[in-house]
Amino acid sequence: MNVRVGQEIPELVKHPTTRQLVQYAGAQGDFYEIHYDQAYAKSVGLPGVILHGLLKAAFLGQLVTDWLGDDGTLEAFEVSYRGIDQPGRPYRCRGTVTRVDGKRAELEVWGEDESGKRTTVGTATVRLS
Amino acid sequence: MSINIIDVIDRLKTRIGVEGPPQTATVEAGHVRRFAEAIGDPNPRWKSQAPPTFLVALASASMHLDDAEDFGKGWLNGGNRFEYLAPVMIGDQVTARSHVADVYDKAGSSGDLLFIIFETEYVNQRGELVARLRGTAIRR
Repeated sequence: MNVRVGQEIPELVKHPTTRQLVQYAGAQGDFYEIHYDQAYAKSVGLPGVILHGLLKAAFLGQLVTDWLGDDGTLEAFEVSYRGIDQPGRPYRCRGTVTRVDGKRAELEVWGEDESGKRTTVGTATVRLS
Repeated sequence: MSINIIDVIDRLKTRIGVEGPPQTATVEAGHVRRFAEAIGDPNPRWKSQAPPTFLVALASASMHLDDAEDFGKGWLNGGNRFEYLAPVMIGDQVTARSHVADVYDKAGSSGDLLFIIFETEYVNQRGELVARLRGTAIRR
């Protein structure tokens, strides 16, 4: 695979629903009510139920592993959750290559909401085969 | 009524570096399938291997949180860092060992925030370190 600095990787747009949050809560075993109980979420000052940070991390993981295919492996992956995201709104995952050093490449990855605000930002280190 | 953040931090600081009980679990095909479905990732690779963030579903990624709940009204996840040293395959038996790495407070725009940094190491049935996870839990 030919990888160069500045290259944008193919974006991944997710359409999370409250149903998906329930599904994810069960699969991860995180039953914190802010992810499926509207009244509870509002009682702690949120606008409604919000996506699990780790679900957004999973989306960004998919962004990178989809791009890599069989051409490399993910070595490290770091994300910071900067803002909340609600179901029913598209979540756009994007990334660019920031460094290439032999077989190793680093990427900036992020997830943005409908307004283009980067609510999750991070980096990924991959090893190309 | 929340108690003083300083008291909570002092109490949590005594936990820094203290490892919680190890958690061992088998990476089950059905669990990986349900996890991949839940994140909406149809990659056929996940029929034999665990997707990158699956480790958090295998064992609780945080610990000793009850004391922290004396402060504030809710939790937020601040961030996660995964480091992968070997693939996690279906059928593997993985043991997770976690500890609190740091505890501190920060002034936020709507009040004090309590930060707890967790670190977890995942070792497979052959004794190989397969991954490390660092997580930032925020109490607000």
